[in-house]
Amino acid sequence: MTLDTLPKILRENFRKYGDRVVAMREKDRGIWKEFTWADYFLQVKHFCMGLVRLGLERGQNVSILGENKPEWFWAELAVQSAGGAAVGIFTDCLPEEVKYYAVHSDSVFAVVHDQEQVDKFLEIKQEVPKIKKVIYWDPKGLWSYTDPMLLSFDQVVELGKTYDEEHPDLFDHMVDQGNGNDIAVFCYTSGTTGLPKGGMLSQRWLVESVREWASLDGWFGMGYEYLSFIPPAWITEQGIGIGGAILAPMIANFPEEPETVQENIREIGPDILFFGARLWENLNRMVQAKMIDSTYLRKLIYRLALPVGLRMADMMRSEKRPGLHWRTLYFVAYQAVFRQLRDRIGLSRAKTVYSAGAAVSPDIIRYFKALGIDIRLFYGSTEQGVMSMPRKGDIRSDTSGPPVPWVEVKLSEEGEILIRNKYPYSGYYKDPEATEKKMRDGWFCTGDFGHLNEDGHLIVIDRMDDLKELAGGKKFSPQYTEVRLRFSPYIKDALVIGGPDKDYVTTLINIDLDNVGRFAEAHHIAYTTFTDLSQKPEVIDLIKKEIEKVNATLPDWTRVKRFVNMHKEFDADEEELTRTRKLRRTFVEERYNNLITALYADEPEYTVEATVTYRDGRKGTMHTAIQVTETKG
Amino acid sequence: MSHRQNESEPVIRVRHLSLKFGGLQALNDVSVDVQAGEILAIIGPNGAGKTCFLNCINGFYHPYEGEILYDGRDLTRLKPHKIAALGIARTFQNIELFSGLTALDNLMSARHIHMRHGALLGCLFFGPTRREEIAHRERVEEVIDLLEMESIRKKKVGSLPYGQRKKVDLARALCMDPALLLLDEPMAGMNVEEKEDMARFILDVYELKKIPIALIEHDMDIVMDICHRIIVLDFGRKLAEGRAQDIKDDERVIKAYLGEA
Repeated sequence: MTLDTLPKILRENFRKYGDRVVAMREKDRGIWKEFTWADYFLQVKHFCMGLVRLGLERGQNVSILGENKPEWFWAELAVQSAGGAAVGIFTDCLPEEVKYYAVHSDSVFAVVHDQEQVDKFLEIKQEVPKIKKVIYWDPKGLWSYTDPMLLSFDQVVELGKTYDEEHPDLFDHMVDQGNGNDIAVFCYTSGTTGLPKGGMLSQRWLVESVREWASLDGWFGMGYEYLSFIPPAWITEQGIGIGGAILAPMIANFPEEPETVQENIREIGPDILFFGARLWENLNRMVQAKMIDSTYLRKLIYRLALPVGLRMADMMRSEKRPGLHWRTLYFVAYQAVFRQLRDRIGLSRAKTVYSAGAAVSPDIIRYFKALGIDIRLFYGSTEQGVMSMPRKGDIRSDTSGPPVPWVEVKLSEEGEILIRNKYPYSGYYKDPEATEKKMRDGWFCTGDFGHLNEDGHLIVIDRMDDLKELAGGKKFSPQYTEVRLRFSPYIKDALVIGGPDKDYVTTLINIDLDNVGRFAEAHHIAYTTFTDLSQKPEVIDLIKKEIEKVNATLPDWTRVKRFVNMHKEFDADEEELTRTRKLRRTFVEERYNNLITALYADEPEYTVEATVTYRDGRKGTMHTAIQVTETKG
Repeated sequence: MSHRQNESEPVIRVRHLSLKFGGLQALNDVSVDVQAGEILAIIGPNGAGKTCFLNCINGFYHPYEGEILYDGRDLTRLKPHKIAALGIARTFQNIELFSGLTALDNLMSARHIHMRHGALLGCLFFGPTRREEIAHRERVEEVIDLLEMESIRKKKVGSLPYGQRKKVDLARALCMDPALLLLDEPMAGMNVEEKEDMARFILDVYELKKIPIALIEHDMDIVMDICHRIIVLDFGRKLAEGRAQDIKDDERVIKAYLGEA
């Protein structure tokens, strides 16, 4: 029989490994509890039989709502064994949203984590008539709940055991009935535009595409330790955590609580993991903060080792192989500092490390690279899974790597990324119209704007909807450029300007006073005020180089042609920024209208007149000459 | 929520309690019953004698008059550790923990009263002592799970923020497997969110353990929300006693808190 569904492969793993090989670990009550493949399989089998006994039929859907725990995985595999599909719901959803997912997906059961999630379902009970039972796996706080709709996970397992004794062949029969075309799981789109849509993924997607992915990145058959941490309602955890862990196979490790991840990760020492951009930044910040509090000697050693690591990271990026003397120095630095540091943050064994979703600053990527950790920033979507992936030995911070072998990428005339996938999703649930709208001549429209560079690496820039247009109709993304400009330590803020009436892109730059000031000190540049510093030729040159660096990663028409260093910082008190420090684009553009006109005129200098309000309420006018600078490229 | 499960027999019976510090009358003829299965609030202005009242129950102070009957025994002359061993646990307004120990060790220390093997055998950590330690750790872990303290288990108590230390204090009381829980301002100094969490924990404990709880608290909203009955103390006297709503409308209580109009 072909092993074309996850339940079949799980059964195979059970036969092959039984109770000799560990499949999962969960930290509970302060100890790591192990579950073998036999435990995994039997829990799935009995929970499945329990659901069938309660009325689950082939082709029906079950909502699952909870943190990463073995029960999540067991429930999903149980539902799939019965030929149904699991609908993942994010734990922080409000009752109203939970209702939408449960109703829209026609779920007949809900498997939920704890009291918090049970309460959500009890609140919307009247509005989800199709849900027969709400099954919870953590009974804490639910002791006095008497609603007949509630059942505990263990009760269902018990039901299943009895039912299995009465119908000994039923489970195998159901699993055998499954095939690659069965819908296995629903992943809902984030719904930034309109209501979330239920992307359906088949068993073929979960099995075949994940198997190819695992082989591509070298974690197939390695027996890796995996840290299950990102929400299982998300396609990435479906791929690595649920599909990957059964296929590869890997040991899925579940932290005790979301708050204990940092502590638990060190105990596991995972080989493969996924962290979002924010987490990498936090990790970096945590190390910096701890170093500041460290002893003098340790600080000294760290300061000696880090530049070696960073230098090595830079050299690995360029083509030429680092010389013996650098390799020796790096070896010493690694043994003296990085090895222990990696151990402290739990990444001592990390080999395959992912991030996706949001851009990670190149500095962070470079930092971890110095520690010997290569972060792969890949590109994927809820509908298509992984579409491009940085390959070992060619991991860059500014691209998403080349398209994966099972995906073809082409660009539409507007620059939209179109793809053709060997393992596509199976459309949106109950919404053939939206499914149809996403397709154009057999290609799937990602709605993302991007391009392929000379080396065939995919660079994803922005959502098509967030783009702006230049004269002549070419599209560009102000946010993308701004984010990357802000990655520079010398640039605090940037406003990228363009429009249908403008031929090219320009930008207003706010220099970072601290870092540029430090640069000025180091280069013996005397300055008086922020304004003065910002207009120093050396500083302008510094910023120019930073912009040109970013320009090199952009398609030519979106490159910044001219810029000015602003004479003052954007200020929330003057309503240029929101209180959360986001630029108020339209307001700023209007306020500096004249300056922007000057950027597009052929004058090298422009005098701004600014009204300043003093503390005592008097108003004055300041005149400042601002340099307009052209960039190369 | 069900009101008082066992109406007939109070768990603790305090009769005509009076306590003096020199010329200061801290408690004056206070009589209170704590019923099985109730959460009882003790409220009153500063210096009303609330903490003194708890201190009398668990033996820190010995009243010069009156009796405290628990399980048919008078507690007034017993030492605090004897009273703890009888199953009366308490928390403290100013948090009295071993700040140099981890949260876990603080909780394990509360199991002391249930440990059967002595220090000498304990040093060996072998056979029965080992099994005993594991059993105690399991009880402690149940409490950690109940109060969601997993992330601070191995942190030194001295390094924890105030709200967390309050939680460790409550957890330690629970680790004694008490038959009666006395909480001295469990929510003092907390923000609204922490207070809500704490209130939820107290209700969870009450629901799971089915033990009576007597607590001192100033936040009337929370008192009204979670307590079945309220005792009001003022200048060492019992001013009023009754259901939450009645107390809220009681003229004397309003006067004691706000002064004469």
